[in-house]
Amino acid sequence: MVDALRRAHHVVTTDGIVVDLHPTAAPASMEVGAQTIGHVDAGDAQRRHAAAETALKTVVDAGLFDVDAVVGFDFYTYGDTVEELRDYIVENWRSARIDPAILDAARRALGAAPAGVRPRVLERVCLTRLRPAGGPSARTRPQVVP
Amino acid sequence: MAIIEDPEGHETAALASSGVSFTSRRVLEIGCGDGRLTKQFARIAASVLAIDPEQEAVARLARELPMVDARPLDIADLSLPVHSVDLVLFSWSL
Repeated sequence: MVDALRRAHHVVTTDGIVVDLHPTAAPASMEVGAQTIGHVDAGDAQRRHAAAETALKTVVDAGLFDVDAVVGFDFYTYGDTVEELRDYIVENWRSARIDPAILDAARRALGAAPAGVRPRVLERVCLTRLRPAGGPSARTRPQVVP
Repeated sequence: MAIIEDPEGHETAALASSGVSFTSRRVLEIGCGDGRLTKQFARIAASVLAIDPEQEAVARLARELPMVDARPLDIADLSLPVHSVDLVLFSWSL
Protein backbone atom coordinates (compact mmCIF):
# COMPACT_ATOMS: atom_id res chain seq x y z
CA MET A 1 0.00 0.00 0.00
CA VAL A 2 2.81 2.37 0.84
CA ASP A 3 4.44 1.48 -2.47
CA ALA A 4 1.22 2.32 -4.33
CA LEU A 5 1.09 5.70 -2.62
CA ARG A 6 4.74 6.31 -3.45
CA ARG A 7 3.98 5.54 -7.09
CA ALA A 8 1.06 7.97 -6.95
CA HIS A 9 3.43 10.61 -5.59
CA HIS A 10 5.77 9.96 -8.50
CA VAL A 11 3.17 10.43 -11.24
CA VAL A 12 1.01 13.23 -9.82
CA THR A 13 1.87 16.83 -10.62
CA THR A 14 3.20 19.02 -7.82
CA ASP A 15 -0.12 20.89 -7.71
CA GLY A 16 -2.22 17.75 -8.22
CA ILE A 17 -4.09 15.66 -5.68
CA VAL A 18 -4.38 12.06 -4.59
CA VAL A 19 -7.73 10.80 -3.33
CA ASP A 20 -8.23 7.61 -1.37
CA LEU A 21 -11.60 6.03 -0.75
CA HIS A 22 -11.87 3.01 1.49
CA PRO A 23 -14.34 1.61 4.02
CA THR A 24 -13.50 2.27 7.63
CA ALA A 25 -12.93 -0.45 10.21
CA ALA A 26 -16.52 0.01 11.42
CA PRO A 27 -18.40 -3.21 10.67
CA ALA A 28 -20.85 -3.10 7.78
CA SER A 29 -24.43 -3.67 8.81
CA MET A 30 -27.47 -5.29 7.25
CA GLU A 31 -30.53 -3.03 7.37
CA VAL A 32 -34.17 -3.24 6.41
CA GLY A 33 -35.65 0.21 6.19
CA ALA A 34 -34.33 2.12 9.19
CA GLN A 35 -33.86 -1.09 11.21
CA THR A 36 -30.37 -2.44 11.74
CA ILE A 37 -30.53 -6.23 11.65
CA GLY A 38 -26.92 -7.14 12.38
CA HIS A 39 -23.34 -6.91 11.21
CA VAL A 40 -21.72 -8.44 8.15
CA ASP A 41 -18.79 -10.71 8.93
CA ALA A 42 -16.24 -8.95 6.77
CA GLY A 43 -13.45 -11.47 7.23
CA ASP A 44 -10.09 -9.75 7.15
CA ALA A 45 -11.59 -6.40 6.18
CA GLN A 46 -10.75 -4.70 9.45
CA ARG A 47 -7.12 -5.68 9.10
CA ARG A 48 -7.04 -4.36 5.54
CA HIS A 49 -8.69 -1.10 6.52
CA ALA A 50 -6.20 -0.65 9.33
CA ALA A 51 -3.37 -1.31 6.90
CA ALA A 52 -4.70 1.37 4.55
CA GLU A 53 -4.84 3.89 7.38
CA THR A 54 -1.30 2.98 8.39
CA ALA A 55 -0.09 3.39 4.81
CA LEU A 56 -1.63 6.85 4.58
CA LYS A 57 -0.05 7.85 7.88
CA THR A 58 3.30 6.48 6.73
CA VAL A 59 3.48 8.58 3.57
CA VAL A 60 2.32 11.70 5.40
CA ASP A 61 4.88 11.16 8.17
CA ALA A 62 7.53 10.56 5.50
CA GLY A 63 6.84 14.02 4.14
CA LEU A 64 5.47 12.90 0.77
CA PHE A 65 1.98 14.28 1.22
CA ASP A 66 -0.05 16.72 3.27
CA VAL A 67 -3.61 15.81 4.20
CA ASP A 68 -6.00 18.37 2.77
CA ALA A 69 -9.33 16.89 3.75
CA VAL A 70 -10.90 13.87 5.41
CA VAL A 71 -14.58 13.16 4.81
CA GLY A 72 -16.69 10.30 6.13
CA PHE A 73 -19.87 9.14 4.49
CA ASP A 74 -22.39 6.29 4.43
CA PHE A 75 -22.41 3.96 1.43
CA TYR A 76 -25.51 1.81 0.92
CA THR A 77 -25.83 -1.23 -1.30
CA TYR A 78 -29.41 -2.34 -2.00
CA GLY A 79 -30.74 -5.66 -3.22
CA ASP A 80 -34.17 -6.79 -4.33
CA THR A 81 -34.04 -9.64 -1.85
CA VAL A 82 -31.96 -10.68 1.14
CA GLU A 83 -30.58 -13.58 -0.88
CA GLU A 84 -29.52 -11.32 -3.75
CA LEU A 85 -27.69 -9.05 -1.33
CA ARG A 86 -26.05 -12.02 0.38
CA ASP A 87 -24.86 -13.48 -2.92
CA TYR A 88 -23.52 -10.13 -4.05
CA ILE A 89 -21.51 -9.69 -0.87
CA VAL A 90 -20.10 -13.19 -0.98
CA GLU A 91 -19.11 -12.73 -4.61
CA ASN A 92 -17.72 -9.22 -4.43
CA TRP A 93 -16.39 -8.69 -0.92
CA ARG A 94 -13.23 -10.58 -0.11
CA SER A 95 -13.87 -13.26 2.54
CA ALA A 96 -17.13 -11.68 3.74
CA ARG A 97 -20.29 -13.51 4.78
CA ILE A 98 -23.56 -12.85 6.55
CA ASP A 99 -24.55 -15.08 9.44
CA PRO A 100 -27.66 -17.20 8.62
CA ALA A 101 -29.39 -15.91 11.77
CA ILE A 102 -29.01 -12.35 10.49
CA LEU A 103 -30.34 -13.38 7.10
CA ASP A 104 -33.38 -14.96 8.77
CA ALA A 105 -33.99 -11.83 10.83
CA ALA A 106 -33.67 -9.70 7.71
CA ARG A 107 -36.21 -11.84 5.88
CA ARG A 108 -38.65 -11.47 8.76
CA ALA A 109 -38.12 -7.73 8.92
CA LEU A 110 -38.57 -7.44 5.17
CA GLY A 111 -41.78 -9.45 5.36
CA ALA A 112 -43.14 -7.02 7.95
CA ALA A 113 -41.92 -3.89 6.15
CA PRO A 114 -44.07 -1.70 3.93
CA ALA A 115 -44.09 -2.46 0.21
CA GLY A 116 -41.09 -1.08 -1.61
CA VAL A 117 -38.63 -1.41 1.24
CA ARG A 118 -35.43 -3.13 0.08
CA PRO A 119 -32.74 -4.77 2.18
CA ARG A 120 -29.46 -2.91 2.22
CA VAL A 121 -25.95 -3.05 3.60
CA LEU A 122 -24.37 0.03 5.12
CA GLU A 123 -20.63 0.69 4.98
CA ARG A 124 -18.96 3.67 6.53
CA VAL A 125 -16.40 5.04 4.08
CA CYS A 126 -13.53 7.46 4.53
CA LEU A 127 -12.34 9.82 1.81
CA THR A 128 -8.86 11.29 2.23
CA ARG A 129 -7.55 14.00 -0.07
CA LEU A 130 -3.78 14.30 -0.19
CA ARG A 131 -1.58 16.92 -1.79
CA PRO A 132 2.11 16.47 -2.55
CA ALA A 133 3.98 18.04 0.33
CA GLY A 134 5.37 21.45 -0.40
CA GLY A 135 2.93 22.04 -3.26
CA PRO A 136 1.45 25.49 -3.91
CA SER A 137 -1.58 25.02 -1.67
CA ALA A 138 -0.07 22.79 0.98
CA ARG A 139 -1.56 23.06 4.43
CA THR A 140 -0.33 21.62 7.63
CA ARG A 141 -3.72 20.95 9.17
CA PRO A 142 -6.41 18.88 7.47
CA GLN A 143 -9.87 20.17 6.82
CA VAL A 144 -12.09 17.60 8.51
CA VAL A 145 -15.63 17.47 7.21
CA PRO A 146 -18.09 15.47 9.37
CA MET B 1 -34.14 -4.04 -10.33
CA ALA B 2 -30.95 -5.60 -9.13
CA ILE B 3 -28.07 -4.62 -6.90
CA ILE B 4 -27.83 -0.84 -6.65
CA GLU B 5 -24.88 0.87 -5.04
CA ASP B 6 -25.07 4.30 -3.45
CA PRO B 7 -28.28 5.51 -5.12
CA GLU B 8 -28.24 8.41 -2.66
CA GLY B 9 -25.04 9.69 -4.26
CA HIS B 10 -23.19 10.02 -0.96
CA GLU B 11 -19.88 9.14 -2.56
CA THR B 12 -20.17 11.78 -5.26
CA ALA B 13 -21.30 14.30 -2.66
CA ALA B 14 -18.30 13.50 -0.46
CA LEU B 15 -15.94 14.02 -3.40
CA ALA B 16 -17.57 17.37 -4.12
CA SER B 17 -17.61 18.49 -0.48
CA SER B 18 -13.92 17.74 -0.14
CA GLY B 19 -13.13 19.92 -3.12
CA VAL B 20 -12.29 17.13 -5.57
CA SER B 21 -12.94 18.23 -9.14
CA PHE B 22 -12.37 16.02 -12.16
CA THR B 23 -13.12 18.71 -14.70
CA SER B 24 -10.37 18.96 -17.30
CA ARG B 25 -8.05 16.85 -15.12
CA ARG B 26 -5.81 14.03 -16.27
CA VAL B 27 -7.02 11.26 -13.99
CA LEU B 28 -5.40 7.98 -13.00
CA GLU B 29 -7.94 5.71 -11.30
CA ILE B 30 -6.52 2.73 -9.44
CA GLY B 31 -8.97 -0.07 -8.75
CA CYS B 32 -11.58 1.03 -11.26
CA GLY B 33 -13.41 -2.31 -11.30
CA ASP B 34 -16.18 -2.17 -13.89
CA GLY B 35 -16.28 1.62 -13.76
CA ARG B 36 -18.93 2.30 -11.13
CA LEU B 37 -17.14 5.47 -10.07
CA THR B 38 -15.42 6.12 -13.41
CA LYS B 39 -18.81 6.88 -14.95
CA GLN B 40 -19.14 9.86 -12.66
CA PHE B 41 -16.21 11.74 -14.16
CA ALA B 42 -15.15 10.10 -17.44
CA ARG B 43 -16.94 12.64 -19.58
CA ILE B 44 -15.67 15.74 -17.82
CA ALA B 45 -12.04 14.75 -17.25
CA ALA B 46 -9.39 15.68 -19.79
CA SER B 47 -8.31 12.05 -19.84
CA VAL B 48 -8.80 8.94 -17.73
CA LEU B 49 -6.42 6.04 -17.33
CA ALA B 50 -8.27 3.41 -15.31
CA ILE B 51 -6.52 0.29 -14.08
CA ASP B 52 -7.60 -2.83 -12.21
CA PRO B 53 -6.21 -6.36 -12.09
CA GLU B 54 -9.67 -7.82 -12.84
CA GLN B 55 -9.62 -8.35 -16.61
CA GLU B 56 -13.34 -8.99 -17.07
CA ALA B 57 -14.33 -5.90 -15.13
CA VAL B 58 -11.91 -3.75 -17.09
CA ALA B 59 -13.25 -5.17 -20.35
CA ARG B 60 -16.79 -4.17 -19.33
CA LEU B 61 -15.58 -0.69 -18.48
CA ALA B 62 -13.79 -0.36 -21.81
CA ARG B 63 -16.94 -1.34 -23.69
CA GLU B 64 -19.14 1.09 -21.79
CA LEU B 65 -16.74 4.03 -21.66
CA PRO B 66 -14.65 3.96 -24.83
CA MET B 67 -13.14 7.36 -24.01
CA VAL B 68 -11.40 5.78 -21.00
CA ASP B 69 -7.98 4.17 -21.37
CA ALA B 70 -8.85 1.05 -19.36
CA ARG B 71 -6.06 -1.42 -18.68
CA PRO B 72 -6.07 -4.72 -16.76
CA LEU B 73 -3.09 -3.85 -14.61
CA ASP B 74 -1.93 -3.70 -11.05
CA ILE B 75 -0.39 -0.41 -9.93
CA ALA B 76 2.91 -2.24 -9.47
CA ASP B 77 2.98 -2.95 -13.20
CA LEU B 78 2.09 0.55 -14.36
CA SER B 79 4.79 2.78 -15.77
CA LEU B 80 3.97 6.46 -16.25
CA PRO B 81 6.15 9.53 -16.69
CA VAL B 82 6.82 11.60 -13.59
CA HIS B 83 4.24 14.34 -12.90
CA SER B 84 2.01 13.21 -15.78
CA VAL B 85 -1.41 13.14 -14.08
CA ASP B 86 -3.35 15.76 -12.12
CA LEU B 87 -5.43 13.45 -9.97
CA VAL B 88 -4.80 9.94 -8.68
CA LEU B 89 -7.87 8.18 -7.33
CA PHE B 90 -7.64 5.03 -5.23
CA SER B 91 -11.14 3.61 -5.68
CA TRP B 92 -11.52 1.34 -2.65
CA SER B 93 -8.23 -0.21 -3.68
CA LEU B 94 -5.61 0.85 -1.16
